[in-house]
Order: sequence, then C-alpha cells, then structure tokens
Amino acid sequence: MQQALQHLVNGTILGGTYALLGIGLTLIFGVMRVVNFTHGELYAFGAYMAYGLVALLRLDFYLSLLLATLLGTALGAAIELLLLRPLRRADIDSVMLAMIGAALVLQNANMWAWGGVAKLVPSPFAGTPLVFGPVSVMPLRLFVLGISCALLVGFWLLLERTRAGIAMRATFQDAETASLMGVRVGWVSTATFAIGSGLAAAAGALLGPVFMVSPTMGDLVGLKAFAIVILGGLGNLPGAVIGGFALGYVEEFGGGFLSTEYRDAFGFLLIILVLAVRPQGLVALKERVG
Amino acid sequence: MLTRRTTLLSGLALPALHRAALAADPIKIGMTQPLTGSVAASGNYVANGAKIAVEVLNRQGGVLGAPIQLILEDNKSNPREAVAAAEKLVLRDKVPVLIGAWSSTFTLSIMPKLLEYKVPMVVETSSAERITTSGNPYVFRIAPTSEMEAVAFAEQLGKFSPAIRKIDFLSVNNDFGRGAAEKFTKALSAKGITIGRTETMTPEATDLSAQLTALKQSDGDTIFLTTGVEQQTLALRQAVEQRLGKRFVTTGGSFPDALLANPLPAGNMSYHILFYAPWFPEKAPHPQIAQAYTAEWNRNNWEFAGLTEGFRGYDAVLTVVEAIRLAGKAEPEAIREALWKVKLQGVNGNISFTKEGPAGRESGQNKPNVAIVTLSEGKTGQL
Amino acid sequence: MSALLGWGFVAAMAALPLVMPDPYLLAVLTSAGIFIIGAISLNLLLGYTGQLSLGHAAFFGLGAYASALTSLGFDIGIGFGHRLRLEPQPVAVGFLAAILVSGCFGWLLGRLAFRIRGAYFVIITICFAQVLRMVALNWVELTQGPMALVGIPPFALWLPGRGVVELYAKNQTYWLVLGVAVLAFLVVRQIVHSRIGRALVALRENETLARSVGIRVTHYLVIATVVSAAIAGAAGSLFAHYVRIVDPDVFLFIYTVTMVIMVITGGKGTLWGPVVGGLIFGPLPDMLRGSAPPEAQWIAYGLAMILLVMFLPRGIVPAVAGWLPARRAAAPLPAPAPSPVQGGAG
Repeated sequence: MQQALQHLVNGTILGGTYALLGIGLTLIFGVMRVVNFTHGELYAFGAYMAYGLVALLRLDFYLSLLLATLLGTALGAAIELLLLRPLRRADIDSVMLAMIGAALVLQNANMWAWGGVAKLVPSPFAGTPLVFGPVSVMPLRLFVLGISCALLVGFWLLLERTRAGIAMRATFQDAETASLMGVRVGWVSTATFAIGSGLAAAAGALLGPVFMVSPTMGDLVGLKAFAIVILGGLGNLPGAVIGGFALGYVEEFGGGFLSTEYRDAFGFLLIILVLAVRPQGLVALKERVG
Repeated sequence: MLTRRTTLLSGLALPALHRAALAADPIKIGMTQPLTGSVAASGNYVANGAKIAVEVLNRQGGVLGAPIQLILEDNKSNPREAVAAAEKLVLRDKVPVLIGAWSSTFTLSIMPKLLEYKVPMVVETSSAERITTSGNPYVFRIAPTSEMEAVAFAEQLGKFSPAIRKIDFLSVNNDFGRGAAEKFTKALSAKGITIGRTETMTPEATDLSAQLTALKQSDGDTIFLTTGVEQQTLALRQAVEQRLGKRFVTTGGSFPDALLANPLPAGNMSYHILFYAPWFPEKAPHPQIAQAYTAEWNRNNWEFAGLTEGFRGYDAVLTVVEAIRLAGKAEPEAIREALWKVKLQGVNGNISFTKEGPAGRESGQNKPNVAIVTLSEGKTGQL
Repeated sequence: MSALLGWGFVAAMAALPLVMPDPYLLAVLTSAGIFIIGAISLNLLLGYTGQLSLGHAAFFGLGAYASALTSLGFDIGIGFGHRLRLEPQPVAVGFLAAILVSGCFGWLLGRLAFRIRGAYFVIITICFAQVLRMVALNWVELTQGPMALVGIPPFALWLPGRGVVELYAKNQTYWLVLGVAVLAFLVVRQIVHSRIGRALVALRENETLARSVGIRVTHYLVIATVVSAAIAGAAGSLFAHYVRIVDPDVFLFIYTVTMVIMVITGGKGTLWGPVVGGLIFGPLPDMLRGSAPPEAQWIAYGLAMILLVMFLPRGIVPAVAGWLPARRAAAPLPAPAPSPVQGGAG
C-alpha cells in the first residue's frame, strides 16, 4: 500500500510534464495538421538552454527557466516561418519528412554544441525530500508539478479568454471558415507552433534539473509525446492532458508492479492496443483518416 | 625531441607535414571508444588517458625510433558502429593493433573481426567473462573481470561498519550490469551474505523511481549499483529522494563525479569500487607512475574525476607500445606474440598477461588492483 | 531507365571487385547495398502505395534476429514447463526464416494499420518498431537483450565444384548482396508492372474512385506490405551475417530514416530512385568518417531532407528524366516494359 501511494505520487508528477508535452503536440496537429517530429528536440533544447543559463552563465534559476522557455518559443516561431510556411501547400507526408529532417538537424546541433557527455543542472532546492506519512517527494519535483499545472491552466485561459485563443480555436475547428471570417491563419499558425514549442521547451527546462541533460534525451520523449497524443486522440486538447497522466500512471505502476524492464514499453504497447481496439483514441470521437 | 602539438595526431588526421614528418613514418595505434551516446562520459575519459600516454611516450622519443600516432574512432555507444569503426581502423588506416572498446557488448561485437583480420586488441574496460574465455587469441584484457572485482571486494568486506548482511542489486540491463550482479552474488554469498532482489534498468532510463521504490521494499542493507556514471548519479540522487536509507556500492571502476560539485545532502555516504583513486596517488602500487599520469592530465585542465577512468586508456597505450618495442616491428602477428611477454608498471599496478580460455586459443588476462573510495558531501576518502 | 542500361549498370557493379579490389571500398559498398535493398522494399510502400511507413526498421530488424537465431539455434521456455528448442541451422535456412517472419509481421501490421491512415498510420508504424526494440531488449532468454547476439556465422553458399563455403572474403559477400539487390529490384518491378501495381497507383492517386470501381483496397495494400516486409527481412538477414552481431538498436528510428532519405532523394515511386539515393547516402557515412564528425554528417542529412522536400519533392530520378525529355522511360510509373529475364539473377 505504501508502495502504491508512492507510485501514485511519482506518476502524478511524471504525468504533469507528459501532459505539457502532449498538449503542445496535439495543439500543433489540431491547428496546422502537422505531425511535429521536432517536439522532442525542442524539449532537449529547453533543457540545454536551462543548463547553459544556470550552470555556465550563472543566471538566477527561475529567470533561466523563463528564458529557456522563451528561447524555445522563438525557435518554434523560426521553424514555422522558415520551414512550415513555405511548405503550406505541400501534402502531409512531405511536411512530415521535412520535420524529420529538422529534428535530425536540431538533435545533432545539440550534440555538436554541447558534446555527448550528460550535464547536471544545479537547482536551488534542497536535496532532502519532504515527507508526508508513507510518501516522500523532492521539493524540486513539487515545483515542477506546480509549474506544469500553472502552465496548463494558463494555456487553457489563453484559449478561452483571449482573442488570439479564439482565433486559434476557430482555426482548430475549421481553417477555411476561420480565414473567411477574417482570422489571419498564417499568423495563427506561427503563434500555435511557437506556443506548442514553448511548452515543450518548458517541459525540458523543468525536467533538466530533475534528471540530466543529454543530446539524445529528446528521442524517447518525442516518441512518448506521440503516444500521449494518440491515447487522447490526435488534435484533442483535454485528451492530451488525460493521455499524459494516463501514461505517467501506466509507466509508474507497470514499472513498479509488473516489470521494470518493460517500463518504457508500456506506453507503446498501450497505443497499439488502443489503436487495435478503439482506433479513435480513449477520448476523441474523430475519424482516424487524414 | 618532438613538441606536444605536432605529435598528437588525432583521428581528424591533420596531415603530418610538420616536424613529426622528419622522423620515420609514425607507428599507428587504433582505438575505438564511445565518444558520443549513452556512455560517452567514460569513453571520453579513456580516450583522453590514451592521448596523454601517447604525448608522454612521444616526448621520450616514441617507439622504435618513430613517433606514435593514435587514431581514435567514435563507436557512438553502439555495437554496430563499433564494428564499423574497427573495420575502418584495420582496413583503411591499416593499424597493426587496436585498443577498445569500453563496453563488453562493443568489445564482443568487434572480436569476430579480430579473428578475421588477425589483428590483436588490448581491452581496457570491458568486464564480461566470455571476452577472454571464448577462445579468441587476439584478445588481451588489462581490465578486471566482474569476478576478479567481486573476489577482490569480498576480501575487503571487513572494512565495512556496520557489516554488510543482505544485499540487493540495481544493474544496467547488459553484460556489464548482469555480469556484476551474478559474480557479486557468487563471491558474497560464499562469505555468508544473504542475497535479495535484482532490479534492472535500460541504459538510457532517467527516471528510476519504479526500480528504487521496489528496492525499498527489500530488507537488504546494501545495494550494489552497476552502470555508467550518468546513471550512477541519477540513481544516487533519486535514492535520497525515495528515502531508501541504504548503503550504495558502485562497481565497475567508474565514479559519479557530478556529485562532487553537486553533492548529496549530508548523511549520505556512497562507496565506489575503483581501479585507480586519483585523490590518493601516493597509495597507488607505483606512485611515481600514477603521479606522472595525474600531472599530465591536470596540465590539460581536464575534469579531475575523469582520472578514475582515464588511466585505462593510459595503461592500454603503455601496454601496446611496450609490446611494439618488444616485437621490434609494428606488425599484428609480432605484436600479438610480444603481448605475452609484456611486464610493465602501469597506473593501476603491474601489467602482464596470463592465459585464459580453451587450450591453443587462449586470450590474455591481466590481474588488476582494486580500491574502495567513499564519497560524502562532495568529499572523498579511501576505505 | 531502359532494361539495357539497367543490366549494363549491374554488370559494371559486378565487375567492380575485379577492377578495384580494395577491401575497405567493398566493405563500404556491401553495407550500403544492404540498406539499398531495404530502401527498395520501403519504396514499394512509400512510393507506390503512398503510405508513409516509418517503422521499416522493424522488418529489417525482425529479419536480422530471425536469421541470426535460426543459424545460432535457441532453447527457450514457453511456459507450463515446455521448452522450444532449435538446433543451429544452415545460414540459408536462416535467410528463408527471415523472409518468412518479416512477411508474417508485415501481414499483421498491414491488417492492423490499414484500418487507419495518414498521421495515425505513421505513428503506429513508429510505435511498432519501438515495441519490437523493447521486446528485443528484454526477452533476454531468446535475444540476449542488450548483450546482443554475437558470433553469428558468416554467409555460406553452395558453389559448384567447391561445396559449401563460408563467405569471409569481401568480394564474395559483395557479390551476394548485389545478387539479392538485383532480385529484390526485379520482384518490386514485377509487382509494380502487374495488376497489383496498377491498383496500388490507382489507390494512391484517388482512393475513393479506386474503391468505387471495385478495387479491393485493403487486400492490395496488405499484399504490398507483406512483400515489402519480406524484402526488408532479407536485407536484415544479410546484415546479420555480414556484421555478425545483432542488437536491439537495429530497430532504431534512425535506420528507418536512413532508408527514407535514400528513397526520397532518388525519387519515391520510381524503380531506380532507391538505388540512386542509396548509392549517394549509403557510402556517405563511411566516406565522411574521419573528415567530419558524425554530428555534421547527420546535420547534412537533415538539411538534405528539408531541401529535397522543398525544392526537389519528386527526387533525383524524375528530375533527371525531366531534363532528358527524350528518355521518357523513367517517368514515375513507366508503361510495362518488355519483361527481362525473370528472377534469374541471384
């Protein structure tokens, strides 16, 4: 029972960052119909920026996280303007191939710039855990969970309460009608990609100090982001949040009670199961063609 | 005398137009290490150790009147790339001898190619038993097997207080991790210690909470941790987080140096089985050699903790060059013959090879020394 | 490309080891050739069915494991105290096993995945390869997990007058790979020029229309996946016995990406596309070894992909064919050319 409670806490913290990753990816797909293969690399980029700012430039920890997120947002905007905008009329497969190319460039640029050796990001949080009865948790992880939730709520407010958010949702539902109604779809796309990328970079900057920063850290995370989005249904925002937490719990409980070796495989097995049994995802009702 | 800059010809093949060219053609030594990928930290340390050994030897006039050239190839922490790197070194660069390849898996994948091309290889790190027992006469290992490490550790059990009674394992899921769990189980259960559970992790895993939570349920007092330095750091940090409250002993000779600058909270002491403890060079079997190595390393301003693994590359180059000197020529078969005659003082201790494996096809195995280093609040001590 | 030019090219490649017997060159071309076979098989899916399958390394890896395990033998528990045992078999049996196993998994994935299209199909193929990698990593009893299958025997071939010989020499393996590549090319060509091929292209161009005129969409797509997977399995088998080690990383996404780059560079949906793309990108990593760090090489690959998609979306072969209007034969789907000798080139 104690073990189960600890797994529950760990799974929740893991799920929060997974949700952050999933929501950026699903938003980009929903608005732009782009399968974003650079998502994992933006996550790694955020983590490296956090490392560079905290460990090398010795900036304030919180300021560094903010800057890393903003830099990720800017990189996302640049990718959209340089790569996706010229390919707006290309078919979905061509765009996917170009995005795979961009992911290769980003990952290897990270490797080139920072070297292959993993880095540790120092944090101002205490190294001793907080203890609540049978469970323990690091203050840093609580901070990460708190910021993840704040970002998720902030993102929801942005979509619901601002003009930009309304334009985004309109494009999400029907790009053509939105453009007829005067929404500048081009800029909505840039903003969407930038925000989605910013969320991925934020996840990287937050988790960098928890784990370690390495050039290939984006690989598995990028794949897991796909898993989350498929679980929730591509282009489904609440689905991505549910999918994120679901994956966090499945990995944590599967790893704890069934087999630690297969821990990272549970997510992928779950997807294949979901697609075989219920192809429209756990949450979404959309058709799966396109 | 050759200067430092012109003699260190790296894998990037700077044309040897400089003064090095006035001597005879350089004698090539091929080396493959994981310079990128999941175990890159250790691979780079070993490569650096090899580089400074080449510098030191070239300053003393090289070997057989020629400068030594180290050709370094990245195996990208991947066995297929290890094979590709070895083929490149043997077929394109035509090196007469190899050093490699850090992980047991990489070394094992290169071994058929050694037989195919008849080129000897000095193995500097890999610990799997079957490297020297499979009947490959081109393999000469200076690193200890997991079994040697476990037996040597068992002799020092008395130094632990409170005594070790029941142990668990947290091992990376490969030859290195599984081999260590198996051999330490054997060596320590012979000393009457109870064996608990073994948890494994993939080499790229970062979140080890599930494994650690599971280990917490065991009533063992000590956990043997076998993996690369990155995961050692992660595991030790996350163990504090999960309040494991157990003694950790890392095996395999690598040291989580990131914990020197970012120490664990007070009251957490970890133990590390090392083959060279750079904090105490005076305690090494041959202090003057260890000090020369340490000084050369520090002159390059490399990370101090890298010394714990860099010596492997250093000793491997010393061994290979000694064999070339004894052979009198840089040819694979002659070097292989000469490796059997090597008697050398290295950073770790005396280096010489004894025969292992099926008769007629024996591999060479050296018997290295073991030191146990403690780490607490960023400070090291020797047990 | 006309049949004559094609056979001339094959003859030139076959003569190469006689003219330039450098073992390193042959080693590089042999491993490039293995990936070209993979690219030829991927092209059938990518180019002719229009399905962006990004799990192709799964079939390649399955073939490698199937072939290695058949030739090494295994002895595993299958539950309830029973054991499944296989004595080491000749390498040729392993080669056939690779084709069979990969083909079966191709059928499974085809049945499963063609219920869904587009982005979902892409992601499920990626996940498929990932799951196989996890299985290979953790089913240690069978696959040796991360310890990798080592000591895989080299290819052995029955040669007239010499009995069964093991192919250690570089030129022998080179010829073997070349032979399998020619065979794979001819199989794909035969399919593309058959009823199946025409149905596939009809599907790619307009699925609704194709359905409405009564083309059994799933049926043809599954056939294409099975053949494609089987050829990729054959390539995997060659890989296993050439490199003589198989580890779970053969399922990595990067191997799929290598094949995808070959196909789109040369021109997807053209028979010669994967060959041309493969001859460019196959030897490149080894050529650049030493002169550029691996990161620079992958950055170049990534940039090449982006630039190709932007400026040469149909690839080199159609572009060259467009510049040479006289040689109209290299159009994306050539009219059925006079059939050459069938499958006699192994």
